[in-house]
Amino acid sequence: MQKRGTKANMPPPATTNLGYTPPDGGWGWAVVFGSFISIGFSYAFPKSLTIYFKEIQEYFSISYSQIAWVSSIMLATMYAGGPVSSILVNRYGSRPVVIVGGLMVGVAMVTASFGTTILHLYLCVGVIGGFGLAFNLQPALTIIGKYFLVKRPIANGLAMAGSPVFLSTLAPLNQFLFDHFGWRGSFLTLGGVMLNCCVAGSLMRPIEIKMKLPVSKTTDENNAGELDVTPQTAESKQSGCAAKINQFIDVSLFKHRGFLIYLVGNVLMFFGFFAPVVFLAPYAKHQGIDEYSAAFLLSIFALVDMFARPGTGLVANTRWIRPKIQYFFSFAVTYNGLCHVMCPLLPGYSGLVVYAVFFGLAFGMVCALLFETLMDLVGAQRFSSAVGLATIIECGPVLLGPPISGLLVDIFMDYKYMYFACGVMMLAGGIFLFIMNYYNYRWLEKEQTQRKVEGLEIGLANEEDKDNEEEIKLSTEEEEK
Amino acid sequence: MRRKLLGVILAVCIGWFRAEALTAGFIKSPLSQMKLIEDNAELDCEVIGNPIPEVQWWFIEGEEPIETVTQLFDGAREDRVHINATYINHATSTLVLTNLTLNDTGVYECRASNDPDRNDLRTPPKVKWIRSQANVIVFEHAAITTRPEMVSDQNQTAATLTCNLTNTDFTIKGYYWTHNGKIIDKSKSSVGKAYIEHEIAKIDYHSSGLYSCVFQTEPEVNATIEVKVTPHVVAYKHSENANEKDKAVLICVSHGYPLPTDWEWYKLSETDAAKKIPIVNGTDDKYEIKNTPNKTTLYVKNLEIDKDMGIYLCMGTNDIGSGDDKIQLRVRSQLAALWPFLGIVAEVIILITVIFIYEKRRKPDEINDGAAPLKSNAATNHKDKNVRQRNSN
Repeated sequence: MQKRGTKANMPPPATTNLGYTPPDGGWGWAVVFGSFISIGFSYAFPKSLTIYFKEIQEYFSISYSQIAWVSSIMLATMYAGGPVSSILVNRYGSRPVVIVGGLMVGVAMVTASFGTTILHLYLCVGVIGGFGLAFNLQPALTIIGKYFLVKRPIANGLAMAGSPVFLSTLAPLNQFLFDHFGWRGSFLTLGGVMLNCCVAGSLMRPIEIKMKLPVSKTTDENNAGELDVTPQTAESKQSGCAAKINQFIDVSLFKHRGFLIYLVGNVLMFFGFFAPVVFLAPYAKHQGIDEYSAAFLLSIFALVDMFARPGTGLVANTRWIRPKIQYFFSFAVTYNGLCHVMCPLLPGYSGLVVYAVFFGLAFGMVCALLFETLMDLVGAQRFSSAVGLATIIECGPVLLGPPISGLLVDIFMDYKYMYFACGVMMLAGGIFLFIMNYYNYRWLEKEQTQRKVEGLEIGLANEEDKDNEEEIKLSTEEEEK
Repeated sequence: MRRKLLGVILAVCIGWFRAEALTAGFIKSPLSQMKLIEDNAELDCEVIGNPIPEVQWWFIEGEEPIETVTQLFDGAREDRVHINATYINHATSTLVLTNLTLNDTGVYECRASNDPDRNDLRTPPKVKWIRSQANVIVFEHAAITTRPEMVSDQNQTAATLTCNLTNTDFTIKGYYWTHNGKIIDKSKSSVGKAYIEHEIAKIDYHSSGLYSCVFQTEPEVNATIEVKVTPHVVAYKHSENANEKDKAVLICVSHGYPLPTDWEWYKLSETDAAKKIPIVNGTDDKYEIKNTPNKTTLYVKNLEIDKDMGIYLCMGTNDIGSGDDKIQLRVRSQLAALWPFLGIVAEVIILITVIFIYEKRRKPDEINDGAAPLKSNAATNHKDKNVRQRNSN
């Protein structure tokens, strides 16, 4: 283990298999800023487009559900494009992918501003824009893992804070653009604004790692885990087409216990994750609260969210939480579920304000830790593939969650059943993660002690070999002399 | 032995499939009703039985024993009688009397039988046929005088609507008023008054519409008073912005009763405030007007800044008068959004260039900083590991 970081501060050693020491600072903070921008655009942009929908709907004389498809297609493509993004990042690194992504979104929006049918919008904004955002999201997350280790939770928390900040900024900006330029002019300007993703991408300088010397010294069977087991050795064990796919994206992750736990827990959680946000304002209006106060609730929520994310990052970085960060994540998910279950019990506007504050905190906590825990489980090397596979599988519950909740509201004509359902789904996810991670930590510790024992034995053998080599060298030198 | 068994099984099966014979029985009988002249009456009759029974309708006039019994057929009474019968699974028959007259008052009887000898002239019908009766009483129209008969005076600001039920045949159990089909709150009463009033404090587009006074008698009778106003025309948005060469959508809606029968669009001349230039649907593919009774939409295509910018007037007319509203249309230059776009693109290019230049200038230093510590780190790690393992031994 490095002497630099405190031992107690580090996660179980199996995950620090980068092969080099991440800088944990310096240019890393500029990279965090770049990720902040990319993540902010990726999450906030599809949601902020809804301001234009009414106008576009009247312009093309179509129904609301037809225009809402634009947002859905964009989100769906953004999640489904995860694996493609992962493959490209594995191949070319983060920077080129983000720059290409930014260009794609920019071009997509500019083309959309000249569109003459709704189909043009589906294709340009939905498909191409969605892919562009996917190419922004994954690399931004991946590169944090490459630059940070000790301070990674803080870096993740700061980067994820981009989402609420950008949402709060894009919403009024879009309104302003719309009032002055109409939807076509706004799309054109937004195309330019999205090109700033390329700026973010240019900040993501790839790490110059000279891996040759360290690797050659440790390509013995010693898998102490501290130094890297490169993907190539893993591949040679598999045969044929699996090996080919693995060159692009690490599908062996599906055998990774931690990854599977994460996946199942998250799929459960995502069913109830976004719906409460979507329905907060309608629920408030249903209670008889006026539009402005209802919108203010969302602002409170966003404000708390904005500060909760870096705050959670800071807390997660402390030496008490970092080693057991999976528990912290499970707690955050469970806390989220509790908030939703309690929500219908809170009366009136003040009750909703309290709910908004607690929910904002919970939402921020979960978002800040979402990818940090994945990095913690699979390690920064395999993170790129992991996040791609995770997003495409999470795509289902993320997209189905709000419509199913809407269905619940329509059937029961009451919001409280929807909140109960969301709360229960999240509680289920949280409790599942708690229990499974408890076992996972135990198994990891067992494996670690096993490896140490093996490492001892092989290390001793190595030492003997080395001593022999040195003796031989010395003796040859003496001979030469 | 086997053949006998087969025969028995077959007989049981056939017997099971062939349903038992069942005498006819009513599952739905016709209901007695009281109707007004010119109204319609419907009598339903449903009978089960096996075989499926036949259903007939008979009309009984007068008192016993001098009663006249006539059978009704489809098209009787100058085509005012319609009989709709179906004979699937069970028999259903519906008797519809349209355009009722006072002479239609009487007892209507639904007769059914599935006895094969039912039409035997030697036995009276009562033996073979089951019967169910319903009373239909037809009343004269209620005479309700309404005052005023219609409210359409523009100068009138308030009004009192009155209804007087002069027909004493009816027993009034109560009354209520409706406005456009919906019952007016607090207008419901269980007092049996023949003369009722309703006050309209302010006549405007909200209170205009169809008012009905409804007397809760058997059957219910009502009269309607129309309250008409000029159309209240409102534009969706008073200020519209659109892009050059694009199309603009101007919308006006109307409230109140009655809805406009005609919609007209005008463009107000800039020079002369009183001059209105009418816009006709379909003029050189520039204007298109789509109308529904409560909404009018004007599409202005191929916008030109100098010609199409200005104030537009939408006017809706009904038989009382007309109402209008104004919309200001502003046409933006196509290049309006281009400048911010170019500005942002320039900013992006500058930032990227700065970042890359900074990187190239720093790069030689970074490589030295990067490689050396890496090498030494790896070496230190390795040594530390060896040292530790030795020590732990």
